[in-house]
Amino acid sequence: MRGFAATLRGAFAEALTNRRAFGAQVALMFGNDLAWCAFWVLFFDRAGNLRGWDGTRALLLLSVFATSAGLTLGVFANVRHVGQMASDGRLDAVLALPVSPLPHLLVRQVRTVNLGDVLFGLGLFLVAGDPDPGRFGIYLVGSLASTGLMLGFLITAGSLAFFVGSGETGEAGFHALLLLSNYPADFFGGLTKLVLYTVIPAAFVTAVPAKLVDEFDPGLAALLLGASAAFLAAGWATFTFGLRRYSSGSVWTQA
Amino acid sequence: MRRLVPAWVGVALTTGARRVLAAPGGLAVGMAIHVLIVGAVSTLWRVAVEANGGSLDGYDATSVTWYMVLSEAAYMAVSSRIIEDIGDDIAGGAVASEMLRPAPVVGIRLAVQFGASLPRLVANLVAGGAVALVTVGGPPSTGALLLALPALPLAAACNLAAAHAFAGVAFWLRDAGSAWFLYQKLIFIFGGMLLPLQVVPGAMRAIAFGLPFMTMAYVPARLGSGHVEPQLLLVQVAWLVVLTAAATATFTAGERRLQAVGG
Repeated sequence: MRGFAATLRGAFAEALTNRRAFGAQVALMFGNDLAWCAFWVLFFDRAGNLRGWDGTRALLLLSVFATSAGLTLGVFANVRHVGQMASDGRLDAVLALPVSPLPHLLVRQVRTVNLGDVLFGLGLFLVAGDPDPGRFGIYLVGSLASTGLMLGFLITAGSLAFFVGSGETGEAGFHALLLLSNYPADFFGGLTKLVLYTVIPAAFVTAVPAKLVDEFDPGLAALLLGASAAFLAAGWATFTFGLRRYSSGSVWTQA
Repeated sequence: MRRLVPAWVGVALTTGARRVLAAPGGLAVGMAIHVLIVGAVSTLWRVAVEANGGSLDGYDATSVTWYMVLSEAAYMAVSSRIIEDIGDDIAGGAVASEMLRPAPVVGIRLAVQFGASLPRLVANLVAGGAVALVTVGGPPSTGALLLALPALPLAAACNLAAAHAFAGVAFWLRDAGSAWFLYQKLIFIFGGMLLPLQVVPGAMRAIAFGLPFMTMAYVPARLGSGHVEPQLLLVQVAWLVVLTAAATATFTAGERRLQAVGG
């Protein structure tokens, strides 16, 4: 645990070295997220209330998404590269260390631009999420569960590279999850909806936490926490078993 | 006699196209993602259209679906990480080494990327077209769709030129990752990628029509959704000239800075 904390501290120190660039990146990320706000406001302004969703709830969804995606891709930045590193044989550096490889690998790199997302998500909830202590608590726990779920899914998708030999599965999983998490799951029906709650759990990443903030349901909350734990466990298992098939590429870089 | 188009342009174009075709797995993954995106965004809009009596600002379920097919095909033909990659190449020194070549850095990069975008365009059109055929049937107008065919590569070219101009911030910031996010969203909203510009309120729509982003998604999408408006192709050509000049100017200024940093 001490090794993990030290690696995380080091990654943060490295990421914050250039303070001016950090400030600029956070500001640009705010601009990026505001564009999504503009989209949802414009969409619901024109389309009206659809299947229980309106502009306010869409902004709630966006605040959960920004927070959890920011934490996942900011603090655990290497999660996006697990597949490519596995298929390219670039894990040698972490395997030589006396620490558990997966946690070390995940926090080895912090991406400052995504930390702007976390700040934005929090700010958006405080401005547009009608906050009170109860709602804020649900938003916080929901966002953390969503982060765990996203992390577990991306590790699983990336670690498939150990078995299929290509990092493209991880990249495809990354795009699919991020893309589909941006939309309210209630807009989809049939097989697509089933996929959003299982294979690509985008509904659990955003729509479920957003819905819980508005209408808390203990059963749904338990399902969210369970899904998050299950995906984290799946990610851990896929990486650990996959590591047995790893072959070195003699490259000593990001790991 | 000097050639009108330098020989390296053709070589760079075919190199870019061959790189993409040499990795059919990547192309297949791209098509799968494209199907997901077109499926999700067009569903969103069809729900909205149906909830509003079958028509929203002149778009019905069929035309709005084909709009999304074309807008996504044009946008996704250009690598989504291009700005990030250019930024990494600038910070990592790859651009500095490319300056040793007897051809402009930005020119070669634009040609290679444009070549790479062409197979992706075809793949995206096939994948997105299949989604539309299954969900709403054929395009609203074959004539308008034919007009959209030249608009697609023009859209990719405009996008590439603007991306290079944007990525040039890495000469100063050493990281263009955040510029990529912002640039992408400008195409999403002002480029009409996620929503037809007719849906956008008056003043904002006027701004969108005055910006170059509409050439990168809206133009082919508007044509492909059944609107015969050939003048939109001229708008694309005019913006392409301006954006290419902007990219060249940014790289020229940035390369001078790189030389200064390198001593």
